[in-house]
Amino acid sequence: MKKDRNSFIFRFLLTLLVILAINFFLPRMMPGDPFSTTSADVAGDEIIVMTEEQREYYIGYYGMDKPQYEQFFIYLKNLAAGDLGKSISYKMPVWSVIKIHLPWTILIVLCATALSTFIGVIFGTISAKNRKKSSDRFMMAGMIAFAEIPSFLLGLILLLIFCVYLRMFPLAGAVTPFAVYGGVLDQAWDIMYHAFLPVVTLSFAQLTGVYLLTRNTLITVTSKDYIRTARGKGLGEKIVWNRHALRNALLPVVTRTGFMIGMMMGGAVLVESVFSYPGIGMTLRAAVVGRDYPLIQGILLVLAVSILVCNLTVDKVYQMLDPRVSV
Amino acid sequence: MTILSIEDLKCHYVTDGSVVKAVDGISFDIYEGEIFGIVGESGSGKTTIALEIMGLLPENVNIYGEVVYNGKTISNLSGEERDKFRWKDIAIVFQNGLEVLNPVINVGRQVTEPMIKHLGLSHEEAEKRCMELFEMTGLDSSWMSSYPHQLSGGMRQRALLAMALSCSPKLLILDEVTSALDAFSRKEIRDLLLNLQKECCYTMIVISHDITFVSSVASKIAVMYMGKIVETGPVRDVITSPRHPYSRGLIHSTPDIFIYKDMWGIPGDGFMGGEIPGCPFSPRCTQKTDACTKSAPLLCACGNNGRKIACHRGGIVSLLEAGDLKFCYQLPDKKSLQAVDGVSLDVKEGEVLAVVGQTGSGKSTLAHILAGVMKPQSGEVYFMGEPLCPEGYGSRFNGIQIVFQDPFSSTSSRFTVLDAIKEPLDINKIGTKDERLNMVKDVLGLVRLSSEESFLKKYCGELSGGQRQRVALARAMIMRPKLLIADEITSALDVSTSANVLRLLKGLQNRRGFAMIYISHDLTLTLKIADRIAVMNSGKVVETGNAHDVMLSPSDEYTQRLVGSRIGLCCHTHEAA
Repeated sequence: MKKDRNSFIFRFLLTLLVILAINFFLPRMMPGDPFSTTSADVAGDEIIVMTEEQREYYIGYYGMDKPQYEQFFIYLKNLAAGDLGKSISYKMPVWSVIKIHLPWTILIVLCATALSTFIGVIFGTISAKNRKKSSDRFMMAGMIAFAEIPSFLLGLILLLIFCVYLRMFPLAGAVTPFAVYGGVLDQAWDIMYHAFLPVVTLSFAQLTGVYLLTRNTLITVTSKDYIRTARGKGLGEKIVWNRHALRNALLPVVTRTGFMIGMMMGGAVLVESVFSYPGIGMTLRAAVVGRDYPLIQGILLVLAVSILVCNLTVDKVYQMLDPRVSV
Repeated sequence: MTILSIEDLKCHYVTDGSVVKAVDGISFDIYEGEIFGIVGESGSGKTTIALEIMGLLPENVNIYGEVVYNGKTISNLSGEERDKFRWKDIAIVFQNGLEVLNPVINVGRQVTEPMIKHLGLSHEEAEKRCMELFEMTGLDSSWMSSYPHQLSGGMRQRALLAMALSCSPKLLILDEVTSALDAFSRKEIRDLLLNLQKECCYTMIVISHDITFVSSVASKIAVMYMGKIVETGPVRDVITSPRHPYSRGLIHSTPDIFIYKDMWGIPGDGFMGGEIPGCPFSPRCTQKTDACTKSAPLLCACGNNGRKIACHRGGIVSLLEAGDLKFCYQLPDKKSLQAVDGVSLDVKEGEVLAVVGQTGSGKSTLAHILAGVMKPQSGEVYFMGEPLCPEGYGSRFNGIQIVFQDPFSSTSSRFTVLDAIKEPLDINKIGTKDERLNMVKDVLGLVRLSSEESFLKKYCGELSGGQRQRVALARAMIMRPKLLIADEITSALDVSTSANVLRLLKGLQNRRGFAMIYISHDLTLTLKIADRIAVMNSGKVVETGNAHDVMLSPSDEYTQRLVGSRIGLCCHTHEAA
């Protein structure tokens, strides 16, 4: 047990180191640097071209005149001390930038996961119960067709319909600017109002996967001997499905959901862009455009860690749900 | 009183247009308090019957016929209505398997579940009852909180049993309860079942391919083959004297019934898919006639003790019947020697009858008479229902052939192998020259001899004893006998050669399905191959019966002496001395 734990920690650290190295070197392999921004992100922006002296001053200031491996070791050393560095474009510590934007992403990702899992499981169950009937075929065809729509396209369509034409939802942002709230409920309502469409868009991207997985595992599970045993005991279809079939069928769904949370954190970037939602994805996009190396590194690190944490949590949760996986 | 009756039940699995008739027209009644056994090879439809009684067959099964429980037809009820009968009235101990219990719910919960549902017990009451059940089935109650994968096969079997008993069902179905267990657990479970049955008076249906187990608990038995019952009746009767060729084959394949005998399964495979127009067993049957391949036989009463059998020929037929045979040699000094003195015996289709006795007891004379080589001075021999004709049955196919003791005198040294083997064809003018050659090559293959040109041209004098005995066997086999009489065929051979010849012979017999009279003075050898034994002394048959009964518990005084005179187990006696 102790040996297992040691090897686990070792593997975890090794993974982390590889991730850190990639995070560090990959942005630097892109053409350009933070101080030679030659194209404007938004049309009409002023293009500022620095003089050679200014450039060199900044390069020296941020320590980029040293060889890259040395910069990497300095980065690791600072990281070990809990310092993610300073954002070049925001002119503030990277951690502070992340702290502002990360919660919004976590909010929409968790809501989207909850929503897609809930609806996916219900639809999957309905479909499995009516297997080979027309309702199942219809549902499955619809779901698969739906899955083929890219999430940013779906986001754009929703944005156009509900925000531009119907004006039911806001075009951008996570909260109403300069709003004064009457209470916590009022504030929560405002947040949900802004998050609604991004959440829906993200959910739809996940829905089909959950639906198909639930449907297929349920169909496999219901052909198992223990379902026949449960039926034989005369427990009634409701208990057979809910207690015996679903509990087993949901095991892979739990695994998938856990992994998806981590993946969606990074994947939210497109959806956040479409809805101009101030999440971590939007920030990452801005950082890449501005070649803000410290910020890119910081965000990628947070995403990587969150994926690792999700995987770890999934393992633990799975152990609690499935007694066959020994603790 | 009838608790369950099944009326012409048919369960047809439909998959992608093809139909598998797992159960094909079965009817039986089970009376209250009875233990009813169903045996058969795997795939014979046993479990399908159990599942249909429980109403658990999948949707792709077309079900015809009726299942009547306590006077109420339950086979046409909906799943919901059937839930009222399930577990409370009819419970099943499912075939043990890793996934027969839900892997993510603890065992105790799975046992208490039906009690809460059907008996309306509270959680605590149900758990208390579960503890009692666990103790009753010999399982420590601490296992209640374990998960199925933590239990061993035997423990899981007990848990399944506890689960089945939880609502005190009136009818208990046991599906292969012992097949995955070791000998100890198997005996424990059997004793437990018998005790429980005495205590609680359950009616039980015991389904298994394990005939030993079924016959040790059941009072009535049904033998199933490909979805049909081929024989049914009281257990003791069916096991000791099976009437259907399939039941006999199944019983002969069971090591516990004939402990010393070599095991030989029923040749051929159960038919897979498609349709057999006639009797389902006909492709593997040794006594089939035209009628057998045309229509399926019905299960008809045979005898008055409730025995029924489905066979066009009324069960295993007698191939050879001999009544009151007598033969007396006149010795030169005017004395006479009564070699065969009023012998009556019969040989059933496809069976091996051994005639044992000491030298001079008249065995060989009897063999010669039965083969038609010698005429009895009185008495009659009937072969396939007809009296033995003067020219005997050796000159035609499907007749009687005899292989003699001494291969050196029974095959001429001056004949080539080819001539020796095709001699009967030449004499009886069967076939053209080429056909004869092909037949010779075929039988040489059967007796595991080379069919090369060079071997065919060898003279019999050049062959070893074992080879020559096999040539003699090939000569008999070329006439495709229905009955082969083997007269001390191994006594002139050394141990290893005789073992090879004997295994070859028994293998041929099993595959070809002919009957055999095996004459020998070697009792140990006899035990290995014989189904029945007739013991001869001074020209009389003093005892006949099932090979093991005769050898292990001989009733006649002479047989006892004969059995006692074996030197066998020599190394053990040395140690004792």
